[in-house]
Amino acid sequence: MSVDPESPPNPNPETGEVVLFSPEFARCPQPVYAGLNAHCPVARATLTGGAVISRYEDVMDALRRPEIFSSAMDLELALGTQRPMIPQQIDPPAQTRFRKVLDPRFSKRRMAEIEPAVRQHANELIDAFIDRGRCEFDQEFAVPLPCTAFLRLMGLPQSELPYFLRLKDGIIRSQTQVEDPTPEKVLEHRKKIGQEIYAYFEKVIEERRARPGDDMISYLLTTEIDGHKLTDNEILDVSFLLILAGLDTVTATLGCNIAYLAANPEQRRRLVREPSLIPSAVEELLRWETPVTAVPRVLKQDVSVHGMELKKGDLVTLLIGAANVDEREFPNPDQVVLGRERNRHLAFGGGAHRCLGSHLARMELQTAMEVWHQRIPEYSIQPGETPRYSPGIREVQYLPLVWEPRA
Amino acid sequence: MKVELLEERCVGHGRCYDLAPEVFDADERGHCVLLQARVPEQLREKARVAAENCPEHAIRVHE
Repeated sequence: MSVDPESPPNPNPETGEVVLFSPEFARCPQPVYAGLNAHCPVARATLTGGAVISRYEDVMDALRRPEIFSSAMDLELALGTQRPMIPQQIDPPAQTRFRKVLDPRFSKRRMAEIEPAVRQHANELIDAFIDRGRCEFDQEFAVPLPCTAFLRLMGLPQSELPYFLRLKDGIIRSQTQVEDPTPEKVLEHRKKIGQEIYAYFEKVIEERRARPGDDMISYLLTTEIDGHKLTDNEILDVSFLLILAGLDTVTATLGCNIAYLAANPEQRRRLVREPSLIPSAVEELLRWETPVTAVPRVLKQDVSVHGMELKKGDLVTLLIGAANVDEREFPNPDQVVLGRERNRHLAFGGGAHRCLGSHLARMELQTAMEVWHQRIPEYSIQPGETPRYSPGIREVQYLPLVWEPRA
Repeated sequence: MKVELLEERCVGHGRCYDLAPEVFDADERGHCVLLQARVPEQLREKARVAAENCPEHAIRVHE
């Protein structure tokens, strides 16, 4: 891990600015986090101009105070939505009412029921390339594995995965779909894709109303909150969130984990020798890599953080990736300790908005790590190639791996 | 050893019932349910580790 001596320091101690949206940051954010935590606990993001809060205690404090650090900011983020996504972009107490009906659908117990299918799918994906001795991990494993499980939960056709991925990337990674991506063009593109997402799910709602199944949309159609059925708009606003969150985050995490283990063979061999370490290794890699680096909030009132006066209406970035390497919370934060005993990482956020899919993600990550290392214990990054990390959510979009095919 | 659950803090991370399922369980939402407040000697270490992995500090351990 090294920082190019030619590039300006990040964070910049003179201006208090930090670059959070660049391929360099995405590839190796930890030194930037360390600089923020040590010298600049409230920085300014170059892209948004908003405040960036990095230390563990400050991030946790903000996550626990939604009445000040609000999530109600659909339009500020310009994600192409017409209304807030539910439950991510609404605050308690309304948010709590939705979580009460959504949480049971994503409980650990329920996710354990689909583990055998995920395990089988992981094996099938590996069957397709193991004898070749190489693969492009993102396209051949990290994308299809979680997306297939997710579409099954939603009751959506697997054959339309490329279409859903285009919609998801159109919102989350608009830069890749827009020529000369100015902020105006990006917003225009997102609005267009947003309309497509609403229109698609309007059609799904009509179908499920006519022919209910055991999928998420059918469940939302029959669910009541305080004696009222959900409106079609509310179902659309949940679906919009699920399609963005469900098709991106586990893919990114799988890539970050395998890229780390490919580059750190001693750690990998320990996992292969001691597979019982996999659950805690998954937690430790979530801490170290934190693929979803930040969560946004908007201030409901003026507040002072480390002497910085932040104003009502300001956008604030809670940099959970930095919190996860804060030495005030984690001893030896720069060491990846696969069996770390005390690990209160915030990779799934915290407080009322704790990631709805965290139990799904954990099950998929543990299962994938187990199956992969049983089948392909020795692997490395293809010599001469460099993995490519996307800015924003840290997906390793190019991760060429090689191994010795078994004779 | 006794464990105490601060229910208002729990948001369902589920670390406790992952790490010490003999002491903690989940309700329908995946929030923590205490199975036994008095923790027998052989489960003390597990209960302590579970408490130390709760991001919300929702579990208190009294030695």
